[in-house]
Amino acid sequence: MARILFDNVTKYYGAVKAVDCLDLDIHDREFLVLLGPSGCGKTTTLNMIAGLEDLSEGDIYFDDQVVNFMPPHKRDVAMVFQSYALYPHKNVYDNIGFGLKMRKYDAAETDRLVRDAAERLEISHLLQRRPSQLSGGQRQRVALGRAMVRQPSVFLMDEPLSNLDAALRISMRAEIKELHKSMQTTFVYVTHDQAEALTLADRIVVMKDGIVQQIGTPDEIYEHPKNLFVASFLGNPPINLLEGSIVVKENKTLFRKGDFTINFSAEVSEKIAQYAGHEVILGIRPEDVDEKNAAVFGQGIAGLVDTVLPMGSEQYLSMHIEGSEVFFRVGKELRHRDGDEVNLAVNINRLHVFDKRSTLNLIWA
Amino acid sequence: MRSSPKRDIKFRLARRFDYESRSAALFILPVMSVLAIVAVFPILYSFYTSFFNLKLTRPHRVPFVWFDNYIKVLSDELFWASVSRTVSFTVMSVAAILVLSLSIAILLNESFRGRRLLSAIILIPWAIPTVANGLLWKWIYDSGFGALNGLLFQLGIIDSYITWLGDSDKTIPLISNSFVWKEVPLAAILILVTMKSIPEDLYRAAKVDGANVFKRFIHITIPSLKPGFMLVMIYETMMAIRHFDLFFLLTEGGPAEASHVVSWQIYVETFRNLSFGTGSAMSYILALVTFALAYFIIRTLGSKL
Repeated sequence: MARILFDNVTKYYGAVKAVDCLDLDIHDREFLVLLGPSGCGKTTTLNMIAGLEDLSEGDIYFDDQVVNFMPPHKRDVAMVFQSYALYPHKNVYDNIGFGLKMRKYDAAETDRLVRDAAERLEISHLLQRRPSQLSGGQRQRVALGRAMVRQPSVFLMDEPLSNLDAALRISMRAEIKELHKSMQTTFVYVTHDQAEALTLADRIVVMKDGIVQQIGTPDEIYEHPKNLFVASFLGNPPINLLEGSIVVKENKTLFRKGDFTINFSAEVSEKIAQYAGHEVILGIRPEDVDEKNAAVFGQGIAGLVDTVLPMGSEQYLSMHIEGSEVFFRVGKELRHRDGDEVNLAVNINRLHVFDKRSTLNLIWA
Repeated sequence: MRSSPKRDIKFRLARRFDYESRSAALFILPVMSVLAIVAVFPILYSFYTSFFNLKLTRPHRVPFVWFDNYIKVLSDELFWASVSRTVSFTVMSVAAILVLSLSIAILLNESFRGRRLLSAIILIPWAIPTVANGLLWKWIYDSGFGALNGLLFQLGIIDSYITWLGDSDKTIPLISNSFVWKEVPLAAILILVTMKSIPEDLYRAAKVDGANVFKRFIHITIPSLKPGFMLVMIYETMMAIRHFDLFFLLTEGGPAEASHVVSWQIYVETFRNLSFGTGSAMSYILALVTFALAYFIIRTLGSKL
């Protein structure tokens, strides 16, 4: 059992606020991902859970106990580091067993647990090797083994996959998810990779400059971003952003940027009609257009394709709307060429409108 | 068609020594020739000399004596006595240097107020020229007006002034002390640099694994310091074995033969007795022993540390 609660936690490094008034409730057995660009405070947050950083203000609870001053080894946490931090002078066996040895497990029990962990991670044949003799993926497994062998109640991971090549990263993602399922413990995972966050998390915490931007399930974060930062941080290629204003004309609410206009759906209009005249930023995800049903939606973007970027299973079209470059993702059935004229229908139920000044999402905030 | 053998060789040479290596050779040639004159030639010439009974007291008769010089040196009791003094000087000096430099490195690795100033102060002995260092310690150890006597007397530790360097039991430890004082700064910096290169994450991982300060030192710091330790150990062992300056400045081998170490004996044999043949033989024995010792340290301790 481990529920972790951050109560108004702030961390200063000198005058710099690394984490600012963090309130966060991490549920027992949850897979929580802290997501954000470098320097956003996510690793500091993780280190505070581990007990590797002191708090400047506020409290952290494990279940009902305040752990602000509890040293790391008493917190029953295990951690996987970005650098793996394997002890270079110990072989794999001793690396995995080090935590058990420090906790004075007897030799037979240590041996059984180390071999179990090694078997589960398929590294039994590497037990006598030194870390320097292992590949990146193998080191990663040893680091996981070292963390899981103690069966901690909280599993902390600091960008554990960022040093692996792309193919390995995807297969390790699946293994980590599997590990979470089988271990039935709380996982807190730090990453700057949105794809990792979206695939692994039960809930995602998006952070920027030490401040939580949004907490929610991957769907909530992706579909209903609370502000411009969250919207643009998730999604690849990133969301298309067009600066313009909201206009109400003949009982219809629409977005206008120069000659380009888009009507909002009735539901959305209701929510944002009050902002008529406001300067806003319209967000359209690259995938929220449809080429085949242009006639059905009736809300089109017509224009010339600057460049076609084939991606194998799909293709991206680069275009310009009133001087702003935008990317759209379309199926590969229709083979476009640079300079083709296309007519794309926009899915108006999935538009995002952000206030230009506050950057808040006017539809979902 | 087979190419001619001559062309073949030219081609192979050109392939082995491409343009870059040939121009590199040209650039290092001046230094290499200087080294050949001032280092390689004397080394080879003294080896050659060690097979002759060369005495400057009778420079016209220099008979070739095969290994006689070596046999003479190795069967000389005085030589073996000085070997044992060199060994005790080396062992106590290197041990003290390792312990002190590790302690200083640990201290300087912490962040505290005035750390930079302290690092600079600690480096001072290293920056002092050897002769100045020798004269400085000669004054400190002086039996009449020395600082050591004054200090101990004023603190009430001794009742009367002691002739420090005149006491044959104290001579080697005292010279070793002066040697250590000069050598520790460099050793400490070398160990500190190694210490600074240990990734912080290892300590964090060990903290999470439940290792306390002491365990972290044993399991992470010490094994990671191996390269720095080895370097210091080999370098300082070689320095101590061959050390001459302080013996010359402080005691000239005395009192009686209390500080008569191998390097001092080589000097006496060569430049006071003017017996270049045996002096060269002794130098070669010392060089071989130093070499063998370094090899031994790397081979055995290197794999265990």
